[in-house]
Amino acid sequence: MKELAMLAIDAAKARGAAYADVRLVETRVENLGTKNGKVGSYEASEDMGFGVRVIASGAWGFASSDDMSRESVEKTARAAVETALASSKVKEEELILAPESAHVAKWSTLCETDPFKVPLSQKLEHLFKVDEALRKVKGLTIAECSMGFVREKQLFASTEGSLIEQELVHSGAGMTATAVGGGDVQRRSFPSSEGHSASGGYEVIGRVKLLENAGRIAEEAVALLSADVCPSGKKDVILDGSQLCLQIHESIGHPSELDRVLGTEANYAGTSYLSLDKLGKLRLGSKYVTIVADSTLPGGLATVGFDDEGVPAQKWELVKDGLFVGYLTSRENARACGEQRSRGCMRADGWNRIPLVRMTNIGLAPGTWKLEDLIADTADGLLMETNKSWSIDQMRYNFQFSTEIAWEIKNGKKGRMLKNPNYQGISTEFWNSCDAVCDETHWWPWGIINCGKGQPGQIARMSHGSAPARFRGVNVGVAR
Amino acid sequence: MMEKARAESILRSALELSKSDEIEVCLGGGSYSLTRFANNTIHQNVSEKRNQLSVRSVFGKKSGKAVTNKLDPEGVLSAVRQSETAAAAQPEIPELLPMPGPQQYPVVDAFSPETASLPPGFRAEAVARAVRLCKKNGLQAAGYFSSGYGSLGGYGEVSPLAMANSRGLSAYHSGTEASFSITAMGEGSSGWGQETSWLVSNIDVEKVASVAVEKALLSSKPRQLEPGKYKVILEPAAVAELMAYMAWVGFGALQLQEGRSFMAGKVGQKVFGENISIYDDVYHDLLRGRPFDSEGMPRKRVTIAEKGVLKGPVYDRITASKDQKESTGHGLPVPNTSGPEASSVVLEGFQPVTPEELVKRTDRAILVTRFWYVNVVDPMKVVLTGMTRDGTFLVENGKIACGIRNFRFNQSVIELLSNVEAMSTPVRTGGCVVPGLLVRDFNFSSGTEF
Repeated sequence: MKELAMLAIDAAKARGAAYADVRLVETRVENLGTKNGKVGSYEASEDMGFGVRVIASGAWGFASSDDMSRESVEKTARAAVETALASSKVKEEELILAPESAHVAKWSTLCETDPFKVPLSQKLEHLFKVDEALRKVKGLTIAECSMGFVREKQLFASTEGSLIEQELVHSGAGMTATAVGGGDVQRRSFPSSEGHSASGGYEVIGRVKLLENAGRIAEEAVALLSADVCPSGKKDVILDGSQLCLQIHESIGHPSELDRVLGTEANYAGTSYLSLDKLGKLRLGSKYVTIVADSTLPGGLATVGFDDEGVPAQKWELVKDGLFVGYLTSRENARACGEQRSRGCMRADGWNRIPLVRMTNIGLAPGTWKLEDLIADTADGLLMETNKSWSIDQMRYNFQFSTEIAWEIKNGKKGRMLKNPNYQGISTEFWNSCDAVCDETHWWPWGIINCGKGQPGQIARMSHGSAPARFRGVNVGVAR
Repeated sequence: MMEKARAESILRSALELSKSDEIEVCLGGGSYSLTRFANNTIHQNVSEKRNQLSVRSVFGKKSGKAVTNKLDPEGVLSAVRQSETAAAAQPEIPELLPMPGPQQYPVVDAFSPETASLPPGFRAEAVARAVRLCKKNGLQAAGYFSSGYGSLGGYGEVSPLAMANSRGLSAYHSGTEASFSITAMGEGSSGWGQETSWLVSNIDVEKVASVAVEKALLSSKPRQLEPGKYKVILEPAAVAELMAYMAWVGFGALQLQEGRSFMAGKVGQKVFGENISIYDDVYHDLLRGRPFDSEGMPRKRVTIAEKGVLKGPVYDRITASKDQKESTGHGLPVPNTSGPEASSVVLEGFQPVTPEELVKRTDRAILVTRFWYVNVVDPMKVVLTGMTRDGTFLVENGKIACGIRNFRFNQSVIELLSNVEAMSTPVRTGGCVVPGLLVRDFNFSSGTEF
């Protein structure tokens, strides 16, 4: 593999590339699901290929192939240079990368039990137990359980002398209970609407505790059919960690991506309200809001040794005590926000895609509250749990989220269950209305496994650590 | 490219290696290139070539699947054996149907050699023309020009190009596609346009760029209007977004059988305006899609609704067997939990007028170029939410009066399709063929900062 990587680098240089890197990626995936006591889906896949990224005449080119022959490697490298030369016909300025040392290293996810060595029968047995527990609840229509495992072996080499080998392993599981009746459909998922995934091996599955929660989740789904509809108006809202995960993702994570800020995603994902003039000046949130980006987070889905440009993993603050202080950057754009080095946020979806600025693990720092104290401290509010639907404008101001379930809070007491809860707001107003965050005993690194970005599209995975938090005077019950 | 003969050779070799009761093999892949630009610069320029073999083996009622992109004899053998091992380790699926036998497929002419092999220089020159137009008008351009052949999806997903099974089924289809999209951006305004076709010569880069530029210029210094119910002119891109979501949550037979579709209890009833007809038609001249589904069944043109009356969903083999019907050729890979999908939605009904005529005949309305980040609020009522984007205007007295700030909507598509007053000529937008619509009482629920 190293020989093929060097062949690509040499071929690109021979064609006139001023810079080149190559990524050889071998991915193994296993996904399985059950539905109402039967195998609902199963697929095991293997995939291998390479991509060559070059700078020639001050512009980018990229070509990739799954043909691993020497001829194909050389041809693909030449194609990358040819493409860069075509790119150079439409450019405003020369492309310069922020400096980075050459790294020769190996890095692997901490993995106790290789999930691909666990027999399929054992995995199915676990899911069928959960499925049975869900279906024991009278009135439940659909029980669905799933598991997924990914192993990605990467080799990165560049003309600057980097040679990095990494092996990333992700594991996850989840369940959904759906009740149908009276012209209504209600759903409860656990632990979040995407289940839970983390970096690590089969040991992750045991931590998800599907079986322990199956009965409760199914009962809640059935009860929602006859629950009252969430009222409309302004309420104090406590969001559980799983919903806060998506709130962080959409209204702080994406806007912090410097490529969006600089306009390079304008045709698709959009731009950002966090323009360069806001850095160090904008009160994005209240003093209780500190947002940390951390590519070193144990168990995080974006935890790596190096990003896909060969930049080491880092930890830094995006928001400090409410003040917006940092971006997610690449070697190409770091200088635009006054930094001399990339934060290492470039990740690619496989060998056939170029690295883009992607969210790493981004979390809300824990506060000091216990959830029960926070509820007791709330006079007229809602406790909302588990994301159901999400939408936000292309600059990331106006958002609207639905959750699967809510409970009314009156005079410090958690009361009746409510269905179809949702809330809407403007990102900066919303985060400034945060007046309490629960402590580290409630904090959990929620996994996102389907973050889409780019043209052609790419999927990335990351974790958002969060604990329940309270927001004052939120518009709820808005979709009527 | 993966020629038919080579594809069939690989599939045949996999079939011959099988030790299972039944085997199904699918090949997908192709080549895809995309030139992306922003800030008047080509900043990403990529290409990929890939193929993928999927093998499903069945022992009795047990089914197992393995996927690989290693297509040499060793890779094919490994995938076949892995699928057999997976099948043996799984419990029976009582409803699993025997694989289908040989089928007849309509021939779809959707392959253009020119489109399949477009060099990067061609795309760069086209982008340069669009960028020049934007710069001339003091605007920034962002967008892409893509081209390719085969069965690679926008997110790299691979669907079947060729498939075969041990009962004699054999299918092959290869198409091409080119797409150009541009967002022209000014100070506080933007405009957007896009064209997609199987034939690159159908893409008029200058025309698309001119539309985007005109919208960006017209929407400068946007006014802020209060949210509320408005008459709207939804351009085809906006309509397509809503129809794609409606199809996703409600046009499939499994959703109906499980009581999760808006169609539940309403098939045969009039639920839309009488001038609304909806089809799933992969053979539409503007679409020219693959004539078979992931089970190898021929795709049929399906009437979802005619003159406002719901006719029924699309079927795969298993949902069809439950309703004593025939598959309509809308199946996903077996087994799956989501059921059949309608992915080639065609909306028509009114005597169409030109897009300009829609504006001319309107006293006061909001014109929406496209929606963004649409999602489902209530699947049974098909209530969707989302934002307007890249060209939202106030129309007064038959003319565009000014640009306005963007809105969030919360709107039932069922109600929307009962409130249509006129439509323009249907055009292809993404995987749909839809017109622009003039609609009364569209619900904008809040505004935003731009």
